[in-house]
Amino acid sequence: MAAATNTQMRLVVCPAAELPPGSRRIIEHEGRSIGVFNLGGQLFALKNVCPHKYAPLCEGPLTGLATGDRPGTPALERVGEIVRCPWHGWEFDIRTGRSVFNPHRVRTKSYPAGFECIEPGGGAAGSVETFAVALEDRHVVIYI
Amino acid sequence: MSTLTHPQPAGGVVLAPRITIADTDIHHAIRSNSDLLPYLSAVNRERLTRFGGTGAAFHWFNNGGVEGHRTDLPESGLNGAAVCDVACLVRDHLDRYGVDYGLLTGLSVYGASVWPDVDYGSALCSAFNDYTLEHWLAKDSRLRFAMAICTQDPAGAVKEIERLGSHPQIVGVLMPTGAPRPFGNRFYDPIYAACEAHGLVPTLHLGTEGLATVGAPTAAGWPSYYVESRLARPGVYQAHLASFIFQGTFEKFPRLRVAFLECGIGWLPSFLWQMDSDWKAVRYQTPWVKKLPSEYVQEHVRFNSQPLVESPSPAVLDQMLEWIYADRTLMFGSDFPHFDFDEPTQTFKNIDEGLRRRIFHHNAAAIFNLRKGT
Repeated sequence: MAAATNTQMRLVVCPAAELPPGSRRIIEHEGRSIGVFNLGGQLFALKNVCPHKYAPLCEGPLTGLATGDRPGTPALERVGEIVRCPWHGWEFDIRTGRSVFNPHRVRTKSYPAGFECIEPGGGAAGSVETFAVALEDRHVVIYI
Repeated sequence: MSTLTHPQPAGGVVLAPRITIADTDIHHAIRSNSDLLPYLSAVNRERLTRFGGTGAAFHWFNNGGVEGHRTDLPESGLNGAAVCDVACLVRDHLDRYGVDYGLLTGLSVYGASVWPDVDYGSALCSAFNDYTLEHWLAKDSRLRFAMAICTQDPAGAVKEIERLGSHPQIVGVLMPTGAPRPFGNRFYDPIYAACEAHGLVPTLHLGTEGLATVGAPTAAGWPSYYVESRLARPGVYQAHLASFIFQGTFEKFPRLRVAFLECGIGWLPSFLWQMDSDWKAVRYQTPWVKKLPSEYVQEHVRFNSQPLVESPSPAVLDQMLEWIYADRTLMFGSDFPHFDFDEPTQTFKNIDEGLRRRIFHHNAAAIFNLRKGT
């Protein structure tokens, strides 16, 4: 959860009761779209744009972190804390906005010529922009 | 050695400077089934004599040349698409081109891997291996061998690897690519464990597509003509490559290196890109795949270039070689004595000299233990 600063704009998302644990809200403000998530009582907000092809990332399936130490034995950890892009399945950690497989690093390493033509919208580490979220006066608010 | 030149072929062609050559694909064969009889049990001797081999013949189409072989070679040294006389191989290939290491890849018992009676299949493979030891490997120290195994009999294959895998000239196991299940399947894991333990390279080579227990040679059904079946090969190799990556074979066997022979390279750049792209999209379904598929390929998979695609320009070829990480992944293979063989001195002759040396020797030497026992 990013910290708010004085220069940011405060937006009221909804009454806290309307965003129970496990749910999410998409809000629009002046052409910007932001997803707000409640993960077990903790609030997080992500830019609703996938850095890959600009799909509405925050509207994708909520899932967990797929892991597998040995072939043939998949597992799902941190269920509900990963959002999977509705278009091409790229996964992002809702808590940090970071890509699970870190596509920008991957792209940079493998295709120095910029094969995929992705604009660096999410920062060098392959992240989606996050916003500060707070619970104020029994309302969910974000600072953008 | 750098001052030597190759023996000059007819026609006054000027050859490149002498470099070390490891030819990773030379097809040798028995002259007739009787060559295998000394190495078979009584019951299998009778079976081979009265019934024949596996019945899975390589030439299910016209092939090219005559029976698949070059027509400028003496018929006496050939059996179908393979050389059956070591003297012919030495004179017409090893000595002629200054080949330093020649990997024998057989042909006679590829069908054993798709025959329903796997015990007979494994017995024929063992016999062919013994025949090769006596009549080929013992006759010329430049020869190496990707020994025959019956891929559909993992237990038998492991037994054979344990019997012969330490021989100084045996550096791989030959896996014909037409198969009932792709090679990343855990069914084959015992073979890979044995290969890893013995430092042997699973060596993939086309030849059993559409035969015996294998279904149609393509998922689109049966081609009518040889050229169609040739052009369908990359799909088979792609299926095996994706299988190795996504089944996690290289996670299970981190020291394993595999060789893809006679698959060409024209298809490879876009397939590497597609595997990487698809991994990003559906990574969660095979989470044991920890890194980009193309990274596994760079570490674990080596390709030979034959039949080398005729690219529109040298610049295009250079670009393609860069795209497939050829400095690490590419090996030379002639496919002697096939009609479509790549002549050592006329292949890659305009590329960077350092890269040429890697392709012709270093990359093969990095996976095949060519100096084993020396």
